Formats: sequence, structure tokens, C-alpha cells
Amino acid sequence: MKTIEIIVSPTGQLRLETRGFQGTECREASRFLEAALGQQTSETLTAEFHVTEITQQNQIEQKE
Amino acid sequence: MSHTVQIKTEIRDLVALRQACQRLSLNAPVLETVRLFSTEVKGHAIGLPNWRYPVVCDLPSGEIHFDNYEGRWGDAKEMNRLVQMYGVTKAVLEARTKGYTTTEQSLPDGSIKLTIQVGGQY
Repeated sequence: MKTIEIIVSPTGQLRLETRGFQGTECREASRFLEAALGQQTSETLTAEFHVTEITQQNQIEQKE
Repeated sequence: MSHTVQIKTEIRDLVALRQACQRLSLNAPVLETVRLFSTEVKGHAIGLPNWRYPVVCDLPSGEIHFDNYEGRWGDAKEMNRLVQMYGVTKAVLEARTKGYTTTEQSLPDGSIKLTIQVGGQY
């Protein structure tokens, strides 16, 4: 399931995390929220990003 | 691929701000000019519980102007709560315009967790 999780701290700081997306679509999916909510202060790619990339690479190699 | 983004909330949307005030049982924001210390600021003024002067939201810049005299004239927690509720409300409104379903959950540390189920193309 594709979800966007947002945690708003008691001080109003927002932490947005995307889950279950493929490729670069997670950035596309959350862009509308990021733009609407305020100023982005940092961005990190989660472990899932690297796992997904490696899996995709393996699949391509197997096909070849 | 997944990613995590940290965002500093900026109050720019009047509809979301009105709803946030409603949820916190505050009076609706009023567009006016308020004198804060030695300066006059124009924007949407909101009276917070036990605050001497209203906080003024300048929607075009996303900034909040206030004078709480380092906490003596108002507890910063009340202002932070407004920013938090605005963030939640704005995110819900944005998600709804895309037709996404949202669920809200209060966390023990006072944070509010919002889960948006993304359907369609993304």
C-alpha cells in the first residue's frame, strides 16, 4: 500500500515520510504536500530506497 | 523508493488557519493592524489563551509576528499548538483535494500522526 505519513510535532515541525512507492514516484507523490506545507529543511532517502533499487537491478539482470 | 522530508511549517492558507482555530476553540482570525512593542504589523490576528497581545499571521510571507515578552505575556506552547494544528489541517485539506483518505492519530509525546493513503497514479 502506498502511504504518506506525516508527523507534526507539538512545536509545529513536520516530518513527512513516503512508503511503498516505486522508483522516483515517491518524490512526485509528496511534492504537492511539501510545497503546500512550508519550507523543506532536509531530505533523506530511507533504507527502503536502496533495497528497492538493488531488487530492480537484480530483476533486470535475471531477464538478461 | 521512499524518502523522509523535514518541513518548517509556514502559515499561508486562510481556510486551513480558520479550521485550525475552530478545532482549538479559538476565535476566527481577523485581518487587522496590530501594534506589537514598537512596530505595527498587518495580518490575520488571533487571540491565544492567556496571551496579552494577539499573534499576527502574515499569510504572504508565512511568518508569525508576536510579542510574548519571552513567555511573560503568553506561553509559547499555545502558539506552537496553533502551528501544529494548522499543519495537520492543511495536510488533510491538500490530501482531500487529491481524493486521498486520511487518518489522524494523537501520539503520547503530543505529536499528531497523519496517514494518507495514496490511490490512483501515485
